Amino acid sequence: MKAVFTFSLMTLRMLFRRRTLWGILLIILLALAGIASVPSFDVSNQGRFILDFGLFGIEVGALLLALGLAATLYPRDRETRTLMPLIAVPLSRWQYLLGRFLGAALIQAAALLVTCLGLMLILLFHKLPIPGDLLPATLLIIVEGWFLLSTVFFFSFFTSPPLNWPLTTMLFIVSQMSVAEFVGLLPSAPGLMRAVRMILPHADVFHIKDPIAHGFAIEPVYFLVAIFYGLCYSAFMLSLALAVFRGRDLK
Amino acid sequence: MIRYVFLFTIVYLSFSGCRTDYDIADVAPVEFLDSEENHEHLHEHADEDTSCTHDSNAHTDGETGEEHSIDEHVEASHAGHDHASGTRNHGTQWFFNQPWAAPFIWRKLFRDSVIFLGLAVAVFFLSSRRRRKR
Repeated sequence: MKAVFTFSLMTLRMLFRRRTLWGILLIILLALAGIASVPSFDVSNQGRFILDFGLFGIEVGALLLALGLAATLYPRDRETRTLMPLIAVPLSRWQYLLGRFLGAALIQAAALLVTCLGLMLILLFHKLPIPGDLLPATLLIIVEGWFLLSTVFFFSFFTSPPLNWPLTTMLFIVSQMSVAEFVGLLPSAPGLMRAVRMILPHADVFHIKDPIAHGFAIEPVYFLVAIFYGLCYSAFMLSLALAVFRGRDLK
Repeated sequence: MIRYVFLFTIVYLSFSGCRTDYDIADVAPVEFLDSEENHEHLHEHADEDTSCTHDSNAHTDGETGEEHSIDEHVEASHAGHDHASGTRNHGTQWFFNQPWAAPFIWRKLFRDSVIFLGLAVAVFFLSSRRRRKR
């Protein structure tokens, strides 16, 4: 595991130096500031409006970060031929994948925490209260971001980065759908659609912006269950990615 | 061993309980959905009043002889009913049909997590063995 840890730190440093990270972070923060400056019109509570749309903005930011950080990692390693010496001696394929994933996941989590702090500052600037569950809500979005990251890794082993973006975005959209909505996409084959939906993740598990915006308390056990679900699904996607990676002939 | 784990998860996933989806409106117990029926209608007038005489802008109530404008009548008939704040009702189903508000699916969430973890372990070892064979 020491090799994995070292390699993940190398990945972390490499991603930290990339302009992609800072560009996406800037876009998210600007979007949050933009959301806060939109008048709430008839919505009785401006804080509710900012929180609801702010957390949605952070969620979309998680998707952008996952794509921006990980979509080019493997293709670039292969193109620059740094992959072969890496997996020839010091690392096995699963160590390479896990190291890359952990490095990107840490950077993504840090960036999402910064956006959460940005949202808090915006609320303070508007003299609005900061709900206690804002940080746990961001934690759930971070876990959702890790799931998206593992999905990006999965697609990156058999598609090019330009194709990875729409595929991951499509999975992101589909995973937000309820079973009834998903079956509605192809009503002539409800059994098949239900079976496919069963394998796809349920991203609504990570959404608690509505109760937070409306001041509802959430039971702590729910956070644990949702985090566990997100981590297990990410592990599943990573194992699929590894299976594809192990089957690749890198010559 | 791993093959058995893999087969076990496939069989487990095929159980009817696992095929139950997450659409909370479909899987919710009766008591969870019951609360939307318990609301008080404050205005029954619109349904009961059958003896109104209407003209283009106003009407006269047959029983009381009071004259109402159509706007007043429409406003009164849509005054609707009252719900306790923060409770499930027919206007807030979307809000309460979310996983955080439905503890009865948390166990299913946990079970699915364990299944996905089992599948992850199985795929990890199976892909490793396949690679070694080649």
